Amino acid sequence: MNKYFRELTVAAALGLLMLGLAILAPHFFQFQPFISRLTSQMPALVAAIGIALIIISRQIDISIGSQFSMCAIIAGVTAASGLPLGVAIFAALGAGAMMGALNGVLVAYLGLPSIVVTLATMVTWQEALRLWQQGRLLNLPKGIQWFGLSQPAGQTIVISLAFILLIGAAWAMKNLAAGRFIYATGTDAEAARLAGIDPKRTTFGVFVLMGILAGLAAVFNLVQSPQVQPNCGDGLELKTIAAAVVGGVAISGGRGTLWGVLLGMLLLANVNPALTHFHQPPYWEKAIQGLVILLAVVADGIRSRKARL
Amino acid sequence: MSSSRSFSIKSLLARHETVLVLVILFEVILFQVLGRNFLTGRNFSNVFRHSVEIGLLAVAMTPVILTGGIDLSVGSMMGLCAVLFGMMVNSLGMNPWLAGISAVAFGAMGGGVNALLITRLNLPPLIVTLGTFSLFRGLAEAITKGAESYSGFSPSFLALGNSNIAGLPAQIWVFFIVAAGIWFLVHRTTFGRSFRAIGYASEGARYAGIPVARNTSLAYIIAGAVAGLAAVILVARLGEARANAGIGYELLAITAVVLGGVSIFGGSGTVVGTILGWIALAILNNGLTRISDYKIMDQTVASVARELSGLLTGLLLLTALTIGASTKTLAVRHARKQSLAKPTSNPATS
Repeated sequence: MNKYFRELTVAAALGLLMLGLAILAPHFFQFQPFISRLTSQMPALVAAIGIALIIISRQIDISIGSQFSMCAIIAGVTAASGLPLGVAIFAALGAGAMMGALNGVLVAYLGLPSIVVTLATMVTWQEALRLWQQGRLLNLPKGIQWFGLSQPAGQTIVISLAFILLIGAAWAMKNLAAGRFIYATGTDAEAARLAGIDPKRTTFGVFVLMGILAGLAAVFNLVQSPQVQPNCGDGLELKTIAAAVVGGVAISGGRGTLWGVLLGMLLLANVNPALTHFHQPPYWEKAIQGLVILLAVVADGIRSRKARL
Repeated sequence: MSSSRSFSIKSLLARHETVLVLVILFEVILFQVLGRNFLTGRNFSNVFRHSVEIGLLAVAMTPVILTGGIDLSVGSMMGLCAVLFGMMVNSLGMNPWLAGISAVAFGAMGGGVNALLITRLNLPPLIVTLGTFSLFRGLAEAITKGAESYSGFSPSFLALGNSNIAGLPAQIWVFFIVAAGIWFLVHRTTFGRSFRAIGYASEGARYAGIPVARNTSLAYIIAGAVAGLAAVILVARLGEARANAGIGYELLAITAVVLGGVSIFGGSGTVVGTILGWIALAILNNGLTRISDYKIMDQTVASVARELSGLLTGLLLLTALTIGASTKTLAVRHARKQSLAKPTSNPATS
């Protein structure tokens, strides 16, 4: 069967959805709202790149929503205290790297299961943030929204940076040694070790990278509005894991591409707008997302069963 | 080999449970000294009345984690069962007790869906239950159109959540029955012993003639059914059935199980440990709300008790995990020294 079967299936599903929208609800494609919707998905796309690397290396990270919120607030507080935007961005990325490093140490070097470690760090960061901010909205100073530029310019920057990152990461996963280390570690850590790869270091690195990407995603979210909420990352972990799984990243590690993740992200992100444009009640969104995740894993299960027979 | 190892694991667990009892005693003394009206009969009833749902989920999660699996969907299942229960009573005019039994049956069916996907299609429990986590909550929201809730239940039903029987909250008796049942299943039947065997080495269990798929399925079905029961008890306590019932409860339940010394890798742990882990969490939660004389970040501890107990729960879980991992590493080293087989080795590769 074709190597890119899953990517092609998802692309076809996305194409069908778009075609249906083009015929039945053409105003979906009005330029400005379309660009705004696309921009609002960019933070999740950046985080999804990280989660894809995590899953390919056979781990999981459910703390990224909390990391995202924490980085957003840290950047917001830094900016609100009068420091320049560059410092705020640096603070967000640094905080993300440190939170990722904690997960990485516990998972890679203590051998703890990532699901429980990141469950614990998720709760810890989330509650620490609540204790710190008491749920307050944080007003951002001028010059933060759209990097202090006009809205179209800001949107162009966010979208192009996210796509440059995606293309760069996809290229690196295919062509750089570090990218191949991630696939090798996820396929079989012991075999990778025997081949001279350090799976512990690779896993640690992937978690740190995840933290940095969560910080960057938080920055991309921060610049889109004049305020930032301490719960802005809620549900991000589920959204990105779903995008990765739907896009064909195998939860058992070692398999998947970032292009699939992009397609999965776009397909899931369009469930809600499509429901609205087809005049369907929006409260079916979560159920449909759950169903799509299950369909994707069932398809994987059936395929691997066939492969075994 | 098996007798010497099971003996060392047993003594290790005994130690873990002793530590938990000491932690609970420490909490009680600390909150009694720092807080107000902590050690009163009324408050102690409250501690357990308000956390019995999490206790139920934790006890039912124990067999699942013993098999090396996990069930993230139990909190969402509570939401779905609560909504279905409310609908059966309010819209269909069903007797609340009959509706309660039906809610438990729906829970078991939901658990059955998890079980089917996990055991028949050999899918990872983590991702299957992540999918149903979203699906069950989504169905609950779709049924209630995101906003509706059901209330106006009969007083005799609400008594389940708000009255006392023989001096203890009514729902505690339900918990005793469920906990005793699961304890008996896990620790006193060959069926229950198979959970640990599966978690320890599922391939080995299969070679030993254990019907792995069937027994694993039962663990998920029990978890679903108990989630349905927890939903009914929650509705009886709050007097209202909403789609957001039980949000985040799966995390608290897993925390209680892991704190209780059940290995997240599967294969070892006890129901008593889980119950002690749950009690430690419940007392932490309640105790902080009693401390109004001390301040943290310019707020009284009591006013930020929820956030603080959440934070401490997370830190506690991290600590318990780290200690658990270190003792496991030590145990493995010890086992290697005695030139035994590596416990985690896969029979297929050896």
